[in-house]
Amino acid sequence: MDLMQERWTTPVVERPAVERAAWRFREILALPEVGERFERVRRWFHLRESTYDVTNRCNLRCDGCYYYEGEKQFARETPDPTAWRELLDAERARGITYVVLAGAEPALVPDVLQACHDAIPLGCVATNGVLPVPGSIGYRMHVSVWGDDATSARVRGMPGMLRRQLEVWRGDPRAVFVYTFTRENIDQADDVVATLAAADAKVTFNMFSAPVGYAGPLRHDAASLAATRARMLELLDRHPRHVLFSPYSAVAHTQPLGLHDLFGCSYPRCNPSTFIGLGRSFRQYRTDLTWDRQVSCCVPDTDCADCRHYASGSAVVTARMHRHASHPDTFRAWLDYVDTYLAVWVAGYEKGANLCRQPPAPPRAVGEEERS
Amino acid sequence: MASNAGAMDLRTLDDRGLELRIAEILISELKLEDVTADTFDVGLDLVDELGIDSMDLTTVALVLQDVFRVAIDEDDYPRLKSVRAIREYIRSKIAGA
Repeated sequence: MDLMQERWTTPVVERPAVERAAWRFREILALPEVGERFERVRRWFHLRESTYDVTNRCNLRCDGCYYYEGEKQFARETPDPTAWRELLDAERARGITYVVLAGAEPALVPDVLQACHDAIPLGCVATNGVLPVPGSIGYRMHVSVWGDDATSARVRGMPGMLRRQLEVWRGDPRAVFVYTFTRENIDQADDVVATLAAADAKVTFNMFSAPVGYAGPLRHDAASLAATRARMLELLDRHPRHVLFSPYSAVAHTQPLGLHDLFGCSYPRCNPSTFIGLGRSFRQYRTDLTWDRQVSCCVPDTDCADCRHYASGSAVVTARMHRHASHPDTFRAWLDYVDTYLAVWVAGYEKGANLCRQPPAPPRAVGEEERS
Repeated sequence: MASNAGAMDLRTLDDRGLELRIAEILISELKLEDVTADTFDVGLDLVDELGIDSMDLTTVALVLQDVFRVAIDEDDYPRLKSVRAIREYIRSKIAGA
């Protein structure tokens, strides 16, 4: 794979939706690269996700933290790894094949992580990256980055945070650094990503998505969405071997509308259907091993109207394959998005070169008004 | 643009012939083994009994669109629960076309 050959500085084209039924699905799949990439990502269609808060403790206190919003933070902690192993065995039995272990800070409970990994070996740990996680736990490790060290010291209360994160994770193939763009840290991404690339670390992008009731300075507005999109594309262009992202990922996550309004969120909190997919199988467990369908989604207590979270998009955009299969460019964009999501979330999955150079606007569903 | 030729052909298929064609598509797209179109249980629940997932169902729906030249809305996926249900759905789309 030689991503160095790819350049994405071409401005994003907001193209009108192509007339439906102009292309057949099989005609699109017959195009060079498209069918091959589809077969590659299709091998992972079996992933069925649920998420688990494994501890209510954290070694940091960050402004805008999702965990310390709402009721879930008050659930009793379950420190016994045996109890987690029994839960995960039951989860596997009902068809769950992929786990997201979150927190507060999962690295504080390595025995619980090990028990989960022994039961379901595919998954991801969402960590602030300050503490190491034993190498026997072969999950993807998503190390959260919220800006440069000055911002981290102010927002997360830890000086020298990126340096510490790199001390822990340098050279560890499990690690993907997740840079969350807020309204305040867009320019800081240049230096942070350059530092990570110089350390040969992988990085992907997230969008700050306000918790319910949050109206603070991190929340995006129209100007910051546009600036973030431009910065994402520049960084993808500048660091193609280290930035796990696609042009369409940048477009889909920086629209004036959030992911739910754009695509219709598949998670139970917003999706009453139990017919198939996430609405049928997804659960979000609290630390006391209970779950509540009414609040189950990938990042609970997010304001759905503002949700552009990378975890949400990985499921929500991917699930909308149908509406992307109307034109080769739109389907290439979708394939890039899914290829990116797999590289970010699945340990060992190698991202291919992006196929769509001029990503279209997110396609509408049948009967909906044109968007973007 | 899709022509009406496929839809016209579809009208010449009886229900059993249509179900056999649907079963062939399912077997091919889902890479099912140990079953043929002839032996496929047309009442088998694709989700509850066969365990098909949402992405595979989407793939099947897109191929059904291609083969039968009908537009299948995402919101209609719950109607694609079995070979028999798909046959009834396609018939209804053709009748309403």
